[in-house]
Amino acid sequence: MRIGLLTEGGYPYATGESGRWCERLVHGLGQHRFDLYVLGPAGTPRPLPPHARVARVADPGGPDGAPAASGAWSPCAPRAARRAYGRRERRRFTEAYHRLATGLCAEHDEDEGNGGSPFADGLYTLAELARERGGLPGALRSDDAVRVLEAACRAPGARRGAAAAGLPDHLAFAAHLERALRPLSLDWYEDDALGAADLCHAAAGGTTALPGLLAKRFFGTPLLVTEYGVPLRAHYLSAAGADRSGPLRALLAALHGRLAGETYRQAALLTPGNAHARRWLEKCGADRARIRTVHPGMAAERFAEVGEDEESGDPATLLWVGRVEPAKDLVGLLHAFAEIRARQPDARLRIVAVPEREPCGAGYLTYCKGLAAQLFPDEAPGAHAVGENPVTFEELGGPEAPTLEDTYASGALVVMSSLVEGFPAPLVEAMFCARATVSTDVGAVVEIVGGTGLVVPPRNPRALADACLALLRDPERRHRLGAAARARALELFTVEQNLAAFRGIYLELLSHAPVRHRPGDGVPFAHPAEAHVPGSWAPKAVSAGTGAPDA
Amino acid sequence: MRGSAAPTSPGAWDARSEALLGTPALTAAGTLDLRAPAPEDPVPSEIAPPREATPTPPPCSGTAWDAPAPAVTEGQEPPSEAAAPTDAPAPTASHPAPTAPGPAPEPAARPEPAEPTEGTRVENRPADGTALRPAPAAVAADGTAPRPAPAGTAADVGARPRSRRGQADPVKVLMHRHRELCERAVDPLEIAAGLEAQGFTDRTAARFRHRDVFSLAEELYARVPRGPEGPAPVVEPERARAPWAPAVLAPGGVAGLTALGLASGHGPVRLAVGAAGALALGGALLLAVRQGPFRAPDGGTVPAARLWTLWLLAYAVGGDGLLDQVLTGGPDGPWELTTAPLLGLALAVAPAAWGAHLFASRARRRIADSRGLADFAAAVRPLLLGTVTLQLLALTGLLVLTGFSSGALALGALLLLARLHTVHGHPEAAAAVLAAACAGEVLALASVLAARVPLPGFDALAVPVRALVEARGPGAVPTLVCGAAALGLLAHATGALARASAHATP
Repeated sequence: MRIGLLTEGGYPYATGESGRWCERLVHGLGQHRFDLYVLGPAGTPRPLPPHARVARVADPGGPDGAPAASGAWSPCAPRAARRAYGRRERRRFTEAYHRLATGLCAEHDEDEGNGGSPFADGLYTLAELARERGGLPGALRSDDAVRVLEAACRAPGARRGAAAAGLPDHLAFAAHLERALRPLSLDWYEDDALGAADLCHAAAGGTTALPGLLAKRFFGTPLLVTEYGVPLRAHYLSAAGADRSGPLRALLAALHGRLAGETYRQAALLTPGNAHARRWLEKCGADRARIRTVHPGMAAERFAEVGEDEESGDPATLLWVGRVEPAKDLVGLLHAFAEIRARQPDARLRIVAVPEREPCGAGYLTYCKGLAAQLFPDEAPGAHAVGENPVTFEELGGPEAPTLEDTYASGALVVMSSLVEGFPAPLVEAMFCARATVSTDVGAVVEIVGGTGLVVPPRNPRALADACLALLRDPERRHRLGAAARARALELFTVEQNLAAFRGIYLELLSHAPVRHRPGDGVPFAHPAEAHVPGSWAPKAVSAGTGAPDA
Repeated sequence: MRGSAAPTSPGAWDARSEALLGTPALTAAGTLDLRAPAPEDPVPSEIAPPREATPTPPPCSGTAWDAPAPAVTEGQEPPSEAAAPTDAPAPTASHPAPTAPGPAPEPAARPEPAEPTEGTRVENRPADGTALRPAPAAVAADGTAPRPAPAGTAADVGARPRSRRGQADPVKVLMHRHRELCERAVDPLEIAAGLEAQGFTDRTAARFRHRDVFSLAEELYARVPRGPEGPAPVVEPERARAPWAPAVLAPGGVAGLTALGLASGHGPVRLAVGAAGALALGGALLLAVRQGPFRAPDGGTVPAARLWTLWLLAYAVGGDGLLDQVLTGGPDGPWELTTAPLLGLALAVAPAAWGAHLFASRARRRIADSRGLADFAAAVRPLLLGTVTLQLLALTGLLVLTGFSSGALALGALLLLARLHTVHGHPEAAAAVLAAACAGEVLALASVLAARVPLPGFDALAVPVRALVEARGPGAVPTLVCGAAALGLLAHATGALARASAHATP
C-alpha cells in the first residue's frame, strides 16, 4: 500500500532525531511504498530505498506567500499568490475567515449542532478555496482579513486575552496565520499526490499534520499522527514568544491549540512517543481510545556486547552521559557525589559530555568543572604520586571515551540528574548496556525505567546520593537491576518493536478505511474477502440495513 | 504505557495523594525501599512487625526474584525495586529489603537529628544502608521546587512543614514563586507547559492536592490576580540600519558629474562621457532602489517595470526632440537631447527617499497608535498626501535649479508614486500604470508617424498631438501622459497605501 509520509523540516534532507526515526521507518517497512511529502527546505536528500520516493517538497518558510512546491514551481508564483480575489471569492473568503476567527476568539470552540467547530469549518472552507482558486496567502494578509479578525476579537464572548488586541497584534497575527496556513496552498491535494495515498502518516503534529488533515477532508485518507514532542507545548515554551504582546500570544495560543485539537480529533490514530506526550494529547481533546503509545526505537545491537557482560564496569565508578546544559543539573549531581564520597571514599564520577553541533553549554561546563575542583581536591595514592580528581570531565569521542558502549562499559552505575527531560536517550542506552540506573523523576523517566532502576525526586542531591550509595554497596542488586533493565529495554525500546508497532498500525488503519478500488494495486483489504470466493455463496443479497448479516 | 508508573486510576491516585500529602520527597519515600520506617509513622500502620523483623539477618541476600510483595506490584516488571509512587508506599516500606545484608540496623525509634549533625550521623550509620531513613532525603536542600514538607520524619509530615511556612496553602507559595509565569500566561496550558519545563510532574502536582499538572495549572491560572492588562510596550525593533544615504545620493552625484563632463567635453569625449554617465546612472539607480526606503520587499517586484522606467527616462531625455522632428517630417539626423530633466530627477532621488522613509516610519508608528483599521486609514491618508507634496516640492525646486520642465515634474511624480506602490506591496499596480504611460508616449509618436500612411483618413491621427504640440510645445505630451498616470496612481495610493496591510511587512 502507499503511505504518504509527511515529514517535518528534516528527513530526507537533514538528519535529526525525527529524521533518524523516519529513515528507520522507511527502510524498515519494505512492503509498503512511501511517498515523502517534505515541508522544509530542500537539499541533497539522503539515499532512499527503492520503495520510497520524494513526492513533493515545499518550503513554507520561503520568502513570500507562495510556497515553492517542487511540482509546479514557477517564478511568477509570488504574483499568483498576491492575485486579488474577485467579488464572489472575496465574499467566500471573508465568510470562511470569519468562521475561523470566531472559532479562534471564542473561549470554547463548541459545536453548533451541525457537528463541526467553527474553526475547523472555516479552515476547510479556506482550504477548498485555496485548492480551487489559489491566492490564499495574499488574501490572508489583506485588510479584509484584518478587519474580520478585528471584528471577531471585539465581538462579545471573545476570549479574555484576545479582546485587548490592537492593530499591531492583528497584523502580526494575520502574518503568522498566513505562515501557518501555507500548507493549504500547496499543490499536494491532487489525485496523483496525496489523493493516491492509502494512508497519511504525519511525523509530527501541528503544521506538519495539516496536509494530512486536508487529505482526510478531500479524499478520506486516514490520518496517523506520530508525536514525539508535543508541538503545542513547544509553542508555549518557544523563546520567540518572549517579546510578543499578551493579546498576540493569546491569539497564537488559540490558533495552535485549535489546530492541535482539530488534528487530534480527526486523526484515525495518534501515536505519542511516551506517556508524557500522551497526557498532552488527551488534554487537548484526543480520544483515549485512539491513542497508542509507541516508544521510539533505538538501535540496540551496538550495546549487545556490553549488555551481555554483566560484570563489566568499575564497581566504584558512577557515570553520567549527556549533553551539558543547566537543565541537567550537574551541580546537583556534584553535590550528591560529594555526599557519596563522604561515605564511600573510593567512588569516582565520570561526566561524559555528548558533543553538540552548536555548543551553548560551554559556560555551564566551565562552571561545573570549577565547582568540581572546589568540592573535590585532587587526590594521590601516595606522597610521590601525581594526584587525580575523582570527578573527570570527558567528551564522547575522546581517547578515554571513544564510543558510547565503551563509555557505558566503564561504569557500574549510570546516574541521571536532570530537572527536565523528554525521552532521555542516554537512559535507554544505559539500560541496553545492562547498567543499573539512578535517575530523577522527570519527563518520561519513570515510564522508561519502570522497576529496573532507582528513581529519586529532582533537585534532591541527598536522595540521589542515598540511592547511588545503596546500589554502589550492593553489587548483587546492581547486577540484578541491570539485567532487568536490559530485558525491559530490549522488550520496549528497540527499533524492531517500533517497526512492528507501525506495521500493525498501518494494517489496522487500512482495514478500517473505506475501500477505494484502484485496479492493479496490491492494497490489502481493498477487496472484501468474499470477493475472492468463486460463484455466489450467499443465498441472496441482503440490502444494507435490513438486518444483521448472520441473522 | 506498560512501563509507566504513572497513575492509571484517578480515584486511587487521589486517595493516595491525600494520604501522602506532605510526605517529604514523595518519590524517595517510595524509592528507597531499604528504610526502616519511623515508629510514629501514621501512614503505614502495618509497619510495626517489619520493624521487629528488621534486626533478623536477612535470610536471602541472593536474587531479588524472590522479593516479596513490592517487587510484584509493578506488574510485568519482576524486579521492581524502584518503587515509583504508584506503589502504595505502605507495603513498600513495610517489607525489609531482602537483599540488605546489614546485621546491625539502627534502632528505629531514634530521634530525628538536627540538620547540622547530619554528617556525623551519616557516618555512624551502618554501611549497608539498611536503615536509611526518609528524613535525610527530605531534608535535602531543595532549590526551587516548592516542597511544603521540607523536614521531619514521616511521622510529623502533617504538622511540621506548616509550622515552618505558616498556614499557607502550598499553591499560594507556588503561585508566588512562579508569579511571572502565571501572570504572563494566556491560558492554563501555558502554565502547565512552563511548570513542566521546570521539572514538574504529576507526582509533584500531587503534593499540591492536584491530580496532574494541568489541574494545578488551572488553579494557578484562576487564582493569579490579573490587573487590567495594559498594552505591552511594543519596542520598535531598531533594525540594523544599513547606511542608505550614500545609495540614494549616488544617482544625483553621478548625474551631476556626468553633466559637468558633458558641459566641458567636446566631440568624441562628450559621447564617451555621456555613455559612461548613462551606464553609471543606471547602476546608481539600481543601487538606490536596493537599499533604504526604496527597497522593495523580497519577491515584490515586477521585472518589466524596469523596462518601462527606462523607456520613460529615455523619452524625457530625447523624446521631445524626436517628436519635434517627427512632426516636421523627420527624423532626419540626430535630434536634440536634453539632459537637464534627468539631472533634476537624479538629484531628487535623495529627498524622495527621505520622504518615503518618513512616510513608512510614521505609518508604522501609526499602526501601534491606532485603534483600528479605519482609524489607521484616516490617519495615514493625510500623511501620505503630505509626504508626496513635500517630495514634489523638493523635486520642483531641484528642477528649477537644473532647468524646469513640466514633463520632468510629471514624470518624477509618476516614478515616485510607482516606487511607493512597489515598496508597499503593490508592484503590479505600479507596473501597470508605468506601462500605460509608456504606451501613451509611444502612441503619441506612432500616431504622428501613422498619419504619413497614404491612406484616406489617416491624416486625422496626427491632429491631436499636433494641436497639442502647437499649443503647448513638445513637452506637453509627456506632461499630459505622465501627469494623468501620476494622478491615477495617487488616487490608487490613497486607497491602497492607507491599508494597514501595506505597512505590516516586516
